Amino acid sequence: MARQVDDTAMTATGESFPLTRLSVLAALRSQDGAERARALDILFGAYWRPVYKYIRLKFSQSPHDAQDLTQGFFAELLERELLSRFDPSRSRLRTYLRLCADSFALNEIKATSRRKRGGEFVHVALDFSAAEEELRTQAIDPASIASPQSLEDFFEKEWIRSLFSAAVEELRGVSEAREKQKAFKLFEAYDLTDEENISYADLAARFSLPLSEVNNQLAWARREFRRIALERLRALCDSQDEFVREAKALFGVSTQ
Amino acid sequence: MTSLSDKALERLRSSEAADFPGSRYKLRELIARGGMGVVYAAEDLKLSRRVALKILDTPDANGELSSRLMREARILAQLEHPGIVPVHDVGVLPGGRAFYTMKFVEGLRLDRYIVQLDSLPQRLRLFLRVCDAVAFAHARGVLHRDLKPANIMVGSFGEVLVMDWGLAKILREPSLSRDETLITYGQPANSESDPTQSTVITGHGTVMGTPGYMSPEQARGETEKIDVRSDIFALGALLKFIAVGGAQGKSAALPRPLLAICIKAMAESQNARYTDVSAFAADLSLYLDGLPVSAYAENFLERFRRFYKRHEVAILLIAAYLLMRALVLLFFHR
Amino acid sequence: MNKIVIGLLLGTLLGAIDGATAWFTPAVRGMLVGIIFGSTFKGLIAGVAAGIFARKVNSVPLGILFGLAVGFLLAFLVALKEHGYYFEIILPGSIVGMIVGWATQRYGYTTTAAQRG
Repeated sequence: MARQVDDTAMTATGESFPLTRLSVLAALRSQDGAERARALDILFGAYWRPVYKYIRLKFSQSPHDAQDLTQGFFAELLERELLSRFDPSRSRLRTYLRLCADSFALNEIKATSRRKRGGEFVHVALDFSAAEEELRTQAIDPASIASPQSLEDFFEKEWIRSLFSAAVEELRGVSEAREKQKAFKLFEAYDLTDEENISYADLAARFSLPLSEVNNQLAWARREFRRIALERLRALCDSQDEFVREAKALFGVSTQ
Repeated sequence: MTSLSDKALERLRSSEAADFPGSRYKLRELIARGGMGVVYAAEDLKLSRRVALKILDTPDANGELSSRLMREARILAQLEHPGIVPVHDVGVLPGGRAFYTMKFVEGLRLDRYIVQLDSLPQRLRLFLRVCDAVAFAHARGVLHRDLKPANIMVGSFGEVLVMDWGLAKILREPSLSRDETLITYGQPANSESDPTQSTVITGHGTVMGTPGYMSPEQARGETEKIDVRSDIFALGALLKFIAVGGAQGKSAALPRPLLAICIKAMAESQNARYTDVSAFAADLSLYLDGLPVSAYAENFLERFRRFYKRHEVAILLIAAYLLMRALVLLFFHR
Repeated sequence: MNKIVIGLLLGTLLGAIDGATAWFTPAVRGMLVGIIFGSTFKGLIAGVAAGIFARKVNSVPLGILFGLAVGFLLAFLVALKEHGYYFEIILPGSIVGMIVGWATQRYGYTTTAAQRG
């Protein structure tokens, strides 16, 4: 059974996915199959890219082998219920997942042949070419991130990139649904660009808008982006305390 | 899906900072979010010190909110007093958003600090320091209009600072139109769940205040009647809060003269309240010194008790002398 | 008024009053003037001592204790000289000392550094 991971996990109206009652970990233990499926979507959506890139760089695997390992890792995560062993008081979820991925990849690479899995397994369809393209444009030298701390930092950064990318896509959908496409375009042109020294006046000229309008639209888009990103983060955290800590680390802000 | 570069990532992580390129301020941490703006802890790179930076965070179609924020900064700048948070700088971002910086206060909010003070005189003396700051503002023609425990900070060295002058009104501005006294907010200023901590704004934009601390004339929206006695009402509620030792305290436990002072400050009619903060503070000082207060008419027994308490040691010593003399006379008379 | 002056005046007054109460003891009425004079002088000494102590030490309990000690000592010396009336002299004298000790702590000012020049 192939499952298509929806990175953005959006509903048809473009609103953010309402996993508001339970965190991902709690939802994975739910009796409700639909709840479990949605939680898996969110978990995979948040972590597959960082895992893929991590395996590619740390173990110097080819794109094809790294894809297999990434797929295998998530299948193993489900089959062996590795998340049930996660203790939030001892580490962050992403650190735990990274170490699990580490261990899995190491074992798989050492094995002379791939293990055959009996019974049902989940084949996760993921957009690896896009992830590979990101790696290429980032041009990271694996040697530069070889130390445990820098690997942890790298994984965290990729996880943030994954989270933010999904939030940007969701924001795009929300903007369309609320007919604020202009706001999203401004946001894209100012906050998502690598261009330096771009000013609001430049944007106002480019989009033929008054300066105050540029200001207001950007403020709306940024606020919505932050809200969406924090909602996604909340779904990945097991407790309010963890969420507050993670939000602070992510944005340097409180959760209010 | 959009692929984000490292630069974009950094910018998104500190999206406010995106608007501060090359400026002397570096945003560090969001510390409060209100209906109109947000307050960040920031670093002043020129003076190498921590500041609090307040900036608009709400769509400001016609620039009115920017004007309000600048006005708030100008009001604060006029109030140079050790008990009023000082303003350091004002500015406008490239996009036209106004901001100002002020002293970064490290300490506790009054409602959290007060539970540490066991002694009633200590708590009352702390309140008198708040009165000093408010009296100073009144002397400069500025009303606070939102005095409450959440808007008072106690610093790490015990300094008391009155904060959040966002609802302040200048009494002496010529021809105050209705618009001048109104500040439009989209949301309540605080997101606390306790209703006495949240500043309430009506749907049509009239400045109100905080339930439990706003005067009757404020609650009725009679903005033209709001004067120093409205702040005195709030101070009376604040005094009660401080005297009982916080939200969990009971006013029934307060001594009657002190309770009478609170009741006078919080009278329904403005004319029945203290005329100014100095009179209020003076009555409280009399209470602290064990002297009769204007707000309370003592009966004979209460007057005697107060006199005795004030001169207890002398009375006991003299009584001891007289008793001893009497004993000597009776038992050692030769 | 500074603390020493307060001590001096109050000690003198209380000493005089204390001495005058000797009138209630018929056996010593004949020596009343001398008793009053002596008690007044005793009170003066105690008052000045308490005033000096109050300038150095700012503590009501310690001031009362000091006054008690000085009053007791002076009264004891007088009683010793009289070879009797120990309770009648020492007890009131001690309490007068305590009163003066308290008063000098509570009232009066100490000289400031500026005044000391």
